[in-house]
This record gives sequence, C-alpha cells and structure tokens, in this order.
Amino acid sequence: MAMGGGFKRKSKVASEIPDSSLADIAFLLLIFFMVSTTFRRERPREIERPDAAATQQVDEKRKNILHLWVERDGTVFINDARVPMEQISNLATQMFEETDRRLVVAIRSDREVPYGVINQITEELREGGALRVNFATNFEQRAGAARR
Amino acid sequence: MAIIKKKSKVSDQIPTSSMADIAFLLLIFFLVTTVFDEEIGLQVVLPEQGPESEQEVSPKNLIFFLVQPDGSVIVRRGESPAEQRITGRQVEGLMRQALADNPNVIGVVQTSPQARYEHMIAVLDGIQSAGGTRFSLQLLEG
Repeated sequence: MAMGGGFKRKSKVASEIPDSSLADIAFLLLIFFMVSTTFRRERPREIERPDAAATQQVDEKRKNILHLWVERDGTVFINDARVPMEQISNLATQMFEETDRRLVVAIRSDREVPYGVINQITEELREGGALRVNFATNFEQRAGAARR
Repeated sequence: MAIIKKKSKVSDQIPTSSMADIAFLLLIFFLVTTVFDEEIGLQVVLPEQGPESEQEVSPKNLIFFLVQPDGSVIVRRGESPAEQRITGRQVEGLMRQALADNPNVIGVVQTSPQARYEHMIAVLDGIQSAGGTRFSLQLLEG
C-alpha cells in the first residue's frame, strides 16, 4: 500500500503573522507623539548673536535652561515678558530652586548691546545665585581653529 | 428553473493592508523632520557673590585684556606697564602663547561699558579657543 496515500492534515495554526492591528499601533504612536510634542511660543526677535569659534553645546536638560533675551536697545525679556533689571535676581533665585540648583541661564543678546547692560545682568544673576551662564553665540568656522 | 447566483467579483471590504505602511511612513516623516533647536554658546561659571569667593592671585599670573569702546584690545601683562594694542582676532594667538609660557595664567577681561557685547565675546572666545579655562570678566572703570 502506498504510504503517502493518507490525508494530509491541515495545520490549524495560522501560518501568517497577524498584522491587522499594526495600523492601530502605528496610528497610536503617531497620535502619541503629536499630542506629547510641545511647541514653545516665541515672539520673533531681531537678535543677531555674536560669532565665536569656541561655541559648544550646553549639556543640560532643556527644562533647566532659562532663556534671557536682550534686545538691541537693552531691554531684557524672560519667557516673552519684559523684565526690569532689578527683578532678574529674584526670578533667577526662584528658577534656581525650581530646577534643583541645576539652572543654566542662556543669555541671548544682540551683538550690539553695550557691555554695561550685560554686566548688570550678570551681577543680578550672581545676586540671585544663578552662576551657570551660557552666552549664546553662533558657531564660527575659522581657518586653523579646530572645534573642541 | 434553477438560477445560479453570480458571485460579485468586487470585494466589499475596504483594503486595509497598506494602512500600517501609511501610518509608519507618516510617523517616520515626522520623526525625521522634527528639529530641536539646540542650545549653543560660550559657557561661563560666575563667581559667587561675597568676600568668600575672592582669591589671592599672584599678579605675574595675570594677563589683562582691556576692551575699548571701539573694539580694540589693550593687553597688559602682570605688573608690567607695557601695553600692546591688538584686535579681538589676535587674542587667541596671544593667549596660546601666554598659556605655553605659564599654564597658570588667568585672563582678565575688562570691558568698557560702552563697548559692544560682541567685542567682549570675541576676547572671551579667543581665551576659550586657546584652551584657557581660568578667566575673569570685569567692567573697565573710567
């Protein structure tokens, strides 16, 4: 008798990978990223940063960075609100405590601001205890200078 | 008479097999096109306020960069009265030389309140580019 004459039993286990929920997963991820992305609202400012070859990236979490804008006429803005010079120290102290003493103040100043204004700001920051400062600059490619 | 019902050849289901591809494509597109503006600049740690942060430094370890309102820089070493007028671009080479002669040298940047911010940054950049980690930022009096 032929041995192969028996019925071939059909496997009950599906041989295909179930992919019907793949679209759901992908859309879920898409929606998750769309919802969790936050955009900072900023008024466009005409600030031209100075150039510097030693420009480095700040190694600190974004939430620990306080942005401070200085416009060409010397007015200071923090989080889109104009801040009088005398209040910078209070604000810095408050932020310093909120960020668990890891605060970095990023000074985004126009290149034409007189240094007297910048000095006033750094003195205020010292008074407020915020000692880590980043002078925002544009990276400048200079001949013969290697990026560190 | 038996009527054979003809089976419609048009599928009555919406084809969803490519849905996952479309969704992943969108996902990847957004992941790739999102740009985070990175925080770059010159990093400085300010000295603490109060007399406890003051340090005694030997004058021979100091090199003064006096930033003038017009952007030129007057260099003075230690206690020597000799002055040298340079541009902001020349600070790096000068600082490199000073560091090679004396690794403990401290750059003192004294900027006139009328000088533009970019002139101070140019000097600070020169010091940092030369590898100087010890410097002081001050206001130029008078």
